Amino acid sequence: MRKKVLTTMLSMTLAIGAIAGCTLAASAEEEVTLKVFSNLPDRKNGQGLVEQMIIDEYMEANPNVTIEVEALDEEAYKTKFKAYAMDGMPDVVSIWGQPAFLDEVLDAGVLAELNEEDYADYKFIEGSLEGFKKDGNLYGLPRNTDVAVIYYNQKMFEDNGWSVPETYDDLLALAGTIREAGMIPMAMDGGDGWPMAVYLSDLVEKINGSTNEIFADAIANADFTADALKEACELMVESAEAGLFQDGYDSQDYGTAMNLFTNGQAAMFYMGSWEASMALNEDIPEEIRTNIRVFTMPVVENGAGSANDIAAWNGGGYAVSASSEVKEEAIKFLNYMYQPDKLSKYGWENGVGMSAQDQSEYMTGDETELQKQIVEIVNNATSVSGTPINDCGPSAFKASIESAIQSMTNGTSTVDEFLSVIAEACK
Amino acid sequence: MKSGKKKFTVGRAFLWAALILTAVIQIFPLIWLLDFSLASSTEMFTSGLLIIPEKIQWGNYQKAFVDGHFLRYLKNSVLINGLAVLFVILISIMAAYACRRMKWKLSGLVKTILLLGMMIPIHATLLPNYKIYSMLKLTDTIWALLIPYVAFSLPQAMFLMTSFLDSIPMELEEAAVMDGCGIYRIVFQIVTPLLKPSIATVSIMTFLNNWNEFMMASTYLSSPTWKTLPFSVLEFTGQYSSNYAVQFAVMALTAAPAVIVYILLNKHITKGVAMGAVKG
Repeated sequence: MRKKVLTTMLSMTLAIGAIAGCTLAASAEEEVTLKVFSNLPDRKNGQGLVEQMIIDEYMEANPNVTIEVEALDEEAYKTKFKAYAMDGMPDVVSIWGQPAFLDEVLDAGVLAELNEEDYADYKFIEGSLEGFKKDGNLYGLPRNTDVAVIYYNQKMFEDNGWSVPETYDDLLALAGTIREAGMIPMAMDGGDGWPMAVYLSDLVEKINGSTNEIFADAIANADFTADALKEACELMVESAEAGLFQDGYDSQDYGTAMNLFTNGQAAMFYMGSWEASMALNEDIPEEIRTNIRVFTMPVVENGAGSANDIAAWNGGGYAVSASSEVKEEAIKFLNYMYQPDKLSKYGWENGVGMSAQDQSEYMTGDETELQKQIVEIVNNATSVSGTPINDCGPSAFKASIESAIQSMTNGTSTVDEFLSVIAEACK
Repeated sequence: MKSGKKKFTVGRAFLWAALILTAVIQIFPLIWLLDFSLASSTEMFTSGLLIIPEKIQWGNYQKAFVDGHFLRYLKNSVLINGLAVLFVILISIMAAYACRRMKWKLSGLVKTILLLGMMIPIHATLLPNYKIYSMLKLTDTIWALLIPYVAFSLPQAMFLMTSFLDSIPMELEEAAVMDGCGIYRIVFQIVTPLLKPSIATVSIMTFLNNWNEFMMASTYLSSPTWKTLPFSVLEFTGQYSSNYAVQFAVMALTAAPAVIVYILLNKHITKGVAMGAVKG
């Protein structure tokens, strides 16, 4: 019995040794294994499918390269990312170009520096690389451009004689009208916290005309008393009180909110441009999916922001590990993904939203109305907000604002309490 | 007899009603899970308690099997959990025997230290363990899961085994020694068969605790070789929203083995817990 256990253990150790030996020997013969760590576990749909398509193509074009993908969803991804940061990252990783995530990662020095000049021909939208830089050096490349928009059901609007609101007051008045008609004005994913933080940032953009400085100052000084911030918060509370969002919005999650809209129970839905694929989703009744249109946050009275100052940012992206043993191949693969006819084109064709690169070449004319509208919004934009407020600070701040914002909008705490709570989290 | 019959009409009826109600409350989540796993994703957000699917979506299960790599993950789960249960039982019996029946100086202290493990939260050990495993080159091997699964189940198993062991008369072992029995024979041939109820309890507790474990699995494993069933659910998690219907199907399939194991061993569990609790 004991002998058996011993032999099994010995043979296990041998086997482990042999495996380790193999990988070493293999790299000498230019057989390269690239490890990709991704935050897209669903490889059959959406962005995950696009990523997998490019990986498969790359392996076909480079038979000596094997790419192993490990994918976890957001929370598990971030936990494991920390574990990897201690002890050897996979070669190519998903990252977020936001201070809440990236600052700590860059301080740990786990990402390889990229040469910005290499990307001159990659048609990155101006300013989209900024979130991935530190001290002027580039550490990652953005994957998407996300725009915060209000989706609405055009048919429902026309049937009831409602019109797209021009100002925020119009929006609140419309909310009342829709309520009277027995429907939900706007479906809101209030359970998650972040969509509301985006909504708040959107309002600040409309009131102040820009958000970058005001957020950075507030977070650096742990002082959120700026007038624009306070006004935005008060507007949000007012909107919730006016019944703009569905009942119980503060406990309903993404899927629930979205389904209120796609089932035709809600007239509007506040979400990012990535949901433009709703127009192609066959699970949604045809009558609804072909009638989805968008508008952006209406202007606020006396606000400095115009209708074309939009809330948009470059969130997710990719980077290469600094400690990668096959760094050259990893960067080669990274550059391959970002060739304008890969991520950008495939993403467009699969309706997963806007890439961070110029996509105008890939417009076929067969796009859905919804896609065209969003492109138009981005092309007409006079300024973009940049990172939403919740992702501008350290992770403690992100956690604090995403949970406190619900208590503020549902009236459990006051605007002043909210602002002091999130200020406390910055210290 | 007469009084017994009277009891049946009034007291028993009430008892039955209460028991049926409890049973329904207990079983409802499973029925709900099955119901939702047969609906389509868009039907999921109705206000009703249960859905009557327009068309029964067997395709959800097909997707769960094929796209979710269900069989491969099931094999891993069964293997890892089976081995974990085996190790936990083996170690807990031997450790419990050593700490309760053998006379040595530190037996009490060792038992306390082993039981202290109950107080350590999994999250606190996650990253340090990862570091250790990666130094030992154990990440992404079956050991990366087996070791923590055994370690975290052991304190509870020890606790049950020691208290159950106290209820077994020492005279049996004395008689065995008189007849010339060695220590291993005493433990494995005399004592172990008597521990059956608590072995059943420990098995099922270890099994159920580890069957759905995801936190450690996601941190310590990276390639699909040893991934367990909870990863199957993940295959249908999108960046922003997920294919809930298929996830329900995966969960129903994942729950099935656990339910079967529970039904098989159920009889012994209550016995094991009760007998261990009231010792002597």
